[in-house]
Amino acid sequence: MNDDGSLVRLEGIHKWFGGLHVLRGIDLKIVPKEVVVLIGPSGSGKSTLLRSINLLEEPTEGRVFFDGMDLTDIQTNLNEARTHMGMVFQQFNLFPHLTATENITLALIKVLKLSKEEAVERAHQQLGHVGLSDKTESHPSQLSGGQQQRVAIARSLAMQPKMMLFDEVTSALDPELIGEVLGVMQDLASEGMTMVVVTHEMGFAREVGTRLLFLDEGVIVEEGIPAEVIAHPRHTRTQAFLAEVL
Amino acid sequence: MVTTTPDTLSPPDRGIRWFLQNQTSWSRAVLGSAAGVLSFYIIGAIAVLTSHGWTGICPEGVTRLECSPSDPLAEGLKSDGLGLVATIALLVGLVITAAAITSWKRMPNKSAREAVIAGGVLSSQVMALAGFLLWFRATDVDRFARNFLNISLIGEKAGLAWGTVTDSIGSIAGLMLAWAVVAATLAGIYAWLRKTRPRLVVYAALVGAGGGLVWGLIRIASVPSFIKGAQNTLVLSAAGAALGFGLGLVVALFAMSKRAVVRAPARIYINFFRGTPLIWQIMFAGVGLVPALGLDLSMYTVAILVLGFNLAAYSSEVYRAGIQSLERGQIEASRTLGLSYFQSMRYVIVPQAIRRVIPPLLNEFVILIKDTSLISVLGLTLAQKELLGIGRTIYASSFDATAWLGAAAGYLIITLPMIGIVTIVERRLRSGLTSVIG
Ligand SMILES: Nc1ncnc2c1ncn2[C@@H]1O[C@H](COP(=O)(O)OP(=O)(O)O)[C@@H](O)[C@H]1O
Ligand SMILES: [Mg+2]
Repeated sequence: MNDDGSLVRLEGIHKWFGGLHVLRGIDLKIVPKEVVVLIGPSGSGKSTLLRSINLLEEPTEGRVFFDGMDLTDIQTNLNEARTHMGMVFQQFNLFPHLTATENITLALIKVLKLSKEEAVERAHQQLGHVGLSDKTESHPSQLSGGQQQRVAIARSLAMQPKMMLFDEVTSALDPELIGEVLGVMQDLASEGMTMVVVTHEMGFAREVGTRLLFLDEGVIVEEGIPAEVIAHPRHTRTQAFLAEVL
Repeated sequence: MVTTTPDTLSPPDRGIRWFLQNQTSWSRAVLGSAAGVLSFYIIGAIAVLTSHGWTGICPEGVTRLECSPSDPLAEGLKSDGLGLVATIALLVGLVITAAAITSWKRMPNKSAREAVIAGGVLSSQVMALAGFLLWFRATDVDRFARNFLNISLIGEKAGLAWGTVTDSIGSIAGLMLAWAVVAATLAGIYAWLRKTRPRLVVYAALVGAGGGLVWGLIRIASVPSFIKGAQNTLVLSAAGAALGFGLGLVVALFAMSKRAVVRAPARIYINFFRGTPLIWQIMFAGVGLVPALGLDLSMYTVAILVLGFNLAAYSSEVYRAGIQSLERGQIEASRTLGLSYFQSMRYVIVPQAIRRVIPPLLNEFVILIKDTSLISVLGLTLAQKELLGIGRTIYASSFDATAWLGAAAGYLIITLPMIGIVTIVERRLRSGLTSVIG
């Protein structure tokens, strides 16, 4: 935790890609067990904001604090810090040359220095957790999109992170496979995991989210309790966006 | 309402039987007579040449103008019999080609049409071959045969004295068997201990047998001979490849650094070796650098080093393309899990890239095999000469250009299996990759 009780604190984050000003002054505090849902039009900077939290994108200006560390400080060991923050991507990004189990054990063995036996045991446990006990030896190519995404979630959870980042993790899935992935995320939230979720699933945002942020053109335009924001958006841009996605 | 799902059916036959059933008598006649005239031409030509003889024996001490071992072959080439075979093939080919051109559109189905087209193409190929032979007979056949068609020279200079060849074959076979058994046993123990991959045993046996073959050929090779040259070509390319493929990966990783100061030397290295001719590099190193710096290196070592450095530049570009063809998400996922840049490269990126770069790297290897010929500009001893150098040496002592054909045969014997391997590996990796990506 940071000294103000938050797990993540963003201070004055700006990001330029060349001349393109993508994030324009973001301040954000996330406390443990929060489920922050990030919505906004395509290109508004949601992914960039999420990726700034684990420094996959380095903010051009501003500071990122996580669990008492200043990640934007050059002295901070980023590799170590990242083991405490899981991230799941739209395109799954499983390693195609490794089995489901090996996808999970790689970082456990090479980064956390677990023994092979411990790592395999933890991998099997996590795969069981996401309902894939029978797929431990499958390669990603032998799994459906929904199964791949659940392996990707299990891979992150096996590191026993303090928080999880989700970037449109159901957008690449066929409609009938979305439910199984959202279900896993809902269980995770109810177990008290701190989460930041970029999504277009408004039902999930309302049911599972504890806070909703609406991002537009690199600025947090509106935030509040999900059900309230969705029912009564105050800002005209939020209204226009919600009218389109609902 | 009750709906019944139809049974799944096996696919209809679209193979050779289907093809034959759909032929008309006309299409069958066109394709059949085209195949017939091709066979007639090839078998007829071989028969005529064999009846005159492929090589002859000359008495000691006569000049090659008076008698050459190629004389019977030249007689055969000039004979009326061969002229008759070629003329008949040309005329019949012409008739079939004309028939095919005027009738292919009128065929009732695709199989028959394909047959007529194939017949037309085949018969025009026969025309081309026969026409070429007729033209060749009008040139100075005697002189050409004296210079290039002394087939007995290749046998003489193969490096296996004919008397010992049966013994040699026996001992090589024994060596191959012994090596295969040893390799298979070791692999079997390994597979049993690790409880994996019994197929490994088969691969090990094959590799062992290959090793036994190479070792056997090395042991019986004498100097100067084509086998000795082939052996040097293989050693030079294998050592150059080991250096080049290893160094190439390191150069590629440097060339992809985000830091300009790390990238710059790698780019300079790559551009220098890709931008200057290999033959210049070999000469500069062998004739310039090594004597000037007083280095104590044999020219053979210099050759391996330059070939390896050169290959490293080309293969690094192959590695780079392979690594950059992977999705960005792979390294991002890896870094997100806390792996360092080098761990990500080692465990995630390079293992995937290697599968993609194997076919283009094998192509580079085939190019390297042929490029070993450029080292003939260095002063190598006879025992160090590779195939082209051997060809030159034999030509210089016999003034018989058939030596060049012997060298070419040596290259083909090495490169054709390599090219075959490239094709097989490409096919296997492609099917593997579709399942990996899919
Ligand atoms: N690596 C990059 N280089 C250049 N422009 C980028 C890069 N990543 C994102 N952008 C641009 O930044 C803007 C915001 O992108 P992103 O954060 O992915 O938006 P969202 O996730 O909300 O759709 C877009 O205009 C996008 O084109
Ligand atoms: Mg996005």
